[in-house]
Amino acid sequence: MIELPPTVLQIILNFSIGLIVTVSLNIEVGFLNLPQFGRLLAVLTGAIVAAAVPGRILAAYMGLPWGADYAYHLYNFGIVAQINNMLCENPGLSLGTLVFTLILAALIGGAVGYLCAYPALRLKEAYLGITLLAFGELLMTIAWNYDPLVGGTMGVWVVDPFRFVGAGGTRFTFAALFMFMVAIVVYVYAELLARSPFGRVLKAVRDAEVAASVYGKDIEKIRTQTLIIGGSIAAVAGALWAFFTGSMKAATYTRLTWTFWPWAFMMLGGVGNNLGILVGVFLYTISRTAIILYKGSISAIIPIDPEWLEYIMIGLVIVAVVLFRPQGIIPEKPTLALPKQRLKAVLEELDKEK
Amino acid sequence: MNNLLDLLIKAIAYSSCIGIGAASITLIYNATKTFNFAHASLVGWGMYIVFALTCLIGYTPYHHLLSAALFCGLLGGIIYLSVNRRLLKAKAKEVTLMMSTLGVDLILFGFLNVFSDYLLRVHRLPAKYFIFETRDIAVSLGPTSIRLVGLVAPLVLVLVVVILHLFLTKTKLGISMRAAIENPELASLSGINPELTYAIAWLIGGALAGLSGGLLTLVVTGYTAAGMTMVVSFFAGSIVGGLYSIYGALLGGFLVGVGEYLGVSVIATGVGGWIYAYRPAIPLLVMAITLLVQPRGLAILWGGRR
Repeated sequence: MIELPPTVLQIILNFSIGLIVTVSLNIEVGFLNLPQFGRLLAVLTGAIVAAAVPGRILAAYMGLPWGADYAYHLYNFGIVAQINNMLCENPGLSLGTLVFTLILAALIGGAVGYLCAYPALRLKEAYLGITLLAFGELLMTIAWNYDPLVGGTMGVWVVDPFRFVGAGGTRFTFAALFMFMVAIVVYVYAELLARSPFGRVLKAVRDAEVAASVYGKDIEKIRTQTLIIGGSIAAVAGALWAFFTGSMKAATYTRLTWTFWPWAFMMLGGVGNNLGILVGVFLYTISRTAIILYKGSISAIIPIDPEWLEYIMIGLVIVAVVLFRPQGIIPEKPTLALPKQRLKAVLEELDKEK
Repeated sequence: MNNLLDLLIKAIAYSSCIGIGAASITLIYNATKTFNFAHASLVGWGMYIVFALTCLIGYTPYHHLLSAALFCGLLGGIIYLSVNRRLLKAKAKEVTLMMSTLGVDLILFGFLNVFSDYLLRVHRLPAKYFIFETRDIAVSLGPTSIRLVGLVAPLVLVLVVVILHLFLTKTKLGISMRAAIENPELASLSGINPELTYAIAWLIGGALAGLSGGLLTLVVTGYTAAGMTMVVSFFAGSIVGGLYSIYGALLGGFLVGVGEYLGVSVIATGVGGWIYAYRPAIPLLVMAITLLVQPRGLAILWGGRR
């Protein structure tokens, strides 16, 4: 199998994961104006599913301990190593595990989104944002401390469904390309959603909630559905990330990386606009990779650790976008209900009738 | 017995700090409708100002509390002038205001780390992690002795209540500030400049955040992300207080702190020590429950907004 240079792979990987999470955020924030400050919740749910479920099923199938012992760090390494050896020789089972886990993560992520509907129907604006943020942190605290789930502070190893193609660079290439494929599917789905009648309803509710409900749109149902869709997509991203990194420690999933950064990408590209999101995530991924690549030469010029430079840069991007270009790089355009030609034809016909 | 007293002192000190910080969030939210995420880094800066001055100049951490408050107050003022004012003029939405402070928070956090690196490299101070509890002064009370922060922190909390109360009810500026918060249009018709009010809210809010951070150096381990870790407790305090009442925030923050420190110990005697690990979950739970059950929070106790 072909191997791509690591830098290119890193860009593809970060771009794909960023795109999936940000698209899911945009469906909730951009299309419906829900202040989703708890994206971490669904992402972490997906990661927990990937770390806790497929390994246990395979362990039970192979006759290994799969209960609370599975997540105990002294056993976990050995168990996962045995499972990985088996997965290595069994491409079908590997792919099956991968697809099954992603579907399961999407289902459970959707369920989490459904649970979030409870506060989302009762609270607004800052209150809702803070509540969702608290939910994400709450799940992180539980996963970080409750050992039988995903090993608590010791973490667990995650079974590796990418390993069957080979080790090292080959695995990296396969994983990055697979994630890129998922990202494209998610992007196309979000684009279709934006153009569908449902997408137009979302934007109608966003722009004039009262008017939409006067026209008979069930606001509660729409909010719930949107949260479910957003939650499932974000959970897929979490599961993919856990599979790729090969280990799972709850504390590495922070609100900064999985909630605030996607917000920054979204605002940079253009809220409510899928193409803008794509551009925002791409620009950010490129500049981040550049910072990491040129770490040495940057520190030679300015005596600042590049890690802190990254924080300052993201902060400046957010502030600058909010102040000077609130619509983002590519502003949202109204989506048309029919293709342009058909609309033109209909208009001409109407003119003739007059 | 001594252990229990120590725990109690620490709980009171910590809770007072959370109360002071929560008041900052509430004050800024009321005046400008901005839910201030930058609070995290303001608290962090408060901690590091006290740390740096104590190590470089000397004296006790208490001597440098005012400097921390002043510095963070200025930071608050700068945030208002550079970011918040423009957005308020453009009538930005609440979520946009919130996002803008998040951007500011990341910038402040970046520079805080740069500052910490500077202290480490140039002055050889242990700026990654520092523990100031050992530098606290012991006050002997009869047979036992307690740490001074157990007295100073609640005293500062009370002082903040009194000064804020006097400022808001007795001074012309404070009264006009309340008027501008209640109804900006009407207030500006009667000659009050709402922009001045917003600026003062950010100044006082920043100063309170810095004060709370400075005091916290004596209670918790200092590191650059300490503010980020604790910010949820501050949010919880502000929300339990009702988000519209400054006194509510002071009380709410205090209660959240007590719940976090003492509540966990009380539960632990019943169910066992494993519960200690879940301490960070307490403010989150308290906050989520308050929001869902009674979003007006403690403010219902006195029936009004303020």
